[in-house]
Amino acid sequence: MGPAPLLALALLCASVPAAADSLKADTLQPWTSEQAPLLALDRLDGPAVDLATLSGRPVVVHFFATWCAPCIEEMASLNAFSASPGAPVVLAVNVGEVEARLRTFFRTRPVVFPILLDRDRATMKGWNVLGLPTSFILDRELKPALKTEEPLDWESPAVAAALAALSPKAASPVQPTKPDKGETPR
Amino acid sequence: MISRRDMLKTGAAAAAALSAPRLALAQEPAFAPKPGAWRDFAVTTRLDLAASGKAQAWIPLPSVREEEWIKTGRNDWKTNATLAEVVRDPKYGAELLHVVFKEGEIAPYVEVRSSFALRDRAEDLAAKGAVPALSDADRKLYLEATELMPTDGIVKETAEKAAAGKASDIDKARAIYEWVVANTFRDAKTRGCGTGDVASMLRTGNLSGKCADLNALYVALARSVGIPARDIYGLRIAPSKFGYKSLGAGSEIVTKAQHCRAEVWLDGYGWVATDPADVRKVVLEEPPGNNTVDNPKVVAARQVLFGAWEGNWLGYNVAHDVVLPGSQHKVGFLMYPQAEVAGALLDCLDPDTFKYSIKSAEITA
Repeated sequence: MGPAPLLALALLCASVPAAADSLKADTLQPWTSEQAPLLALDRLDGPAVDLATLSGRPVVVHFFATWCAPCIEEMASLNAFSASPGAPVVLAVNVGEVEARLRTFFRTRPVVFPILLDRDRATMKGWNVLGLPTSFILDRELKPALKTEEPLDWESPAVAAALAALSPKAASPVQPTKPDKGETPR
Repeated sequence: MISRRDMLKTGAAAAAALSAPRLALAQEPAFAPKPGAWRDFAVTTRLDLAASGKAQAWIPLPSVREEEWIKTGRNDWKTNATLAEVVRDPKYGAELLHVVFKEGEIAPYVEVRSSFALRDRAEDLAAKGAVPALSDADRKLYLEATELMPTDGIVKETAEKAAAGKASDIDKARAIYEWVVANTFRDAKTRGCGTGDVASMLRTGNLSGKCADLNALYVALARSVGIPARDIYGLRIAPSKFGYKSLGAGSEIVTKAQHCRAEVWLDGYGWVATDPADVRKVVLEEPPGNNTVDNPKVVAARQVLFGAWEGNWLGYNVAHDVVLPGSQHKVGFLMYPQAEVAGALLDCLDPDTFKYSIKSAEITA
């Protein structure tokens, strides 16, 4: 290999992979478990949330961390998706980070859904999450429906089509935490 | 973002580039750590916590006992805490100063001064020596999975591919080192030293990060193929005497100079120094930055950092998944000061808010 191609290759190797375009649209797969694992967690700056109380509307359970670059891009997509009419309830489960760090993170990236705290990673293990991000979708009876272990483009037509069979009924979604004066939303 | 498949392809090509004949160079950079004179240092860590509830804190103390390259000394402290005691983690032997402040303390503070001596490391990998065998207990400890470093599944699959065709532990360990150097990327945006969630890195194909990611990946891969390995979590405390700006402390203020390195156990050699993450740091950061893999400084670092490292870095401990004494909180590793106020753990990656500072000084008198 001559110097020129070597240089080009080396520059490619030396660069940090860009975050853009990392979201994928077609990675939702059937989630074939008999039933969803339990999920009852404290919430960042809000009351605890128990998944079992949320029947009547599809639910997205999304495991993430702020150090996970693909998670950061996906979070914006998930937030836009969750704000759309008729969207499922979204529960974003942070894995193993301190609350102070999450408040700092969401201060500049506010989201409309609750952030739940899997402080000891027990919930992540219970859901057999092997890497971040991982997302699960439950139907309105809270039965396992779909899952993906890739960062998902939640606003893509493919996701909309996959969710069409899970059309929501009216239900009270979990409300986002209202920030205190000068505090971060979550 | 580059997909995992693309990245592996790139990495394979990069590995080939790394092993290509080197261009004739008028002047090779010298990066040649050799065990020589000991240098005495002191690191002073100070915490000043906000007075908003009952507070306690934990400060890592130098507790690696490897007299070939580090000699620990005294730990002295001053504080207005009601309790201040050195606690030793029973599993890994990591030592920390635990301080507890009374509720209502107006200005909780603790300042710890740790003294120690360091020198360079360099193993002669050409020939085995008379090194006592690793104990069964240590072999088990340094082969086991941790919360963030599984040793099965995709980790083992990746290691077996990286070390394919290699028979001896030393050849496997070196092949995995080369794989990590070729396939990972230092990401300047990663907070602190990273997290070290090895399974997530491999599953997502995002093999970027900093030392706690890249060297944890090395350790997990080595363990997965039966080679004892461990991360050492520590702090850069002096500039590099070899002129590598990226591989040393930039000033006496080392508050954000945390760095972890790695070791592999090779029978006949003992614990062998390695630091693939620092090769990627030279690639990204050594002036002028964004260096090519055939840059002479990169080549020199890559050749040296399997088997040697410079003694300008303090190793605190090799612990994982440490439950902080007197607390419900657990940390993946103990490299930063930790503190809890009103039951909530502070963000150790935000020293200005936390707040803490760390200074280092070479003791020459």
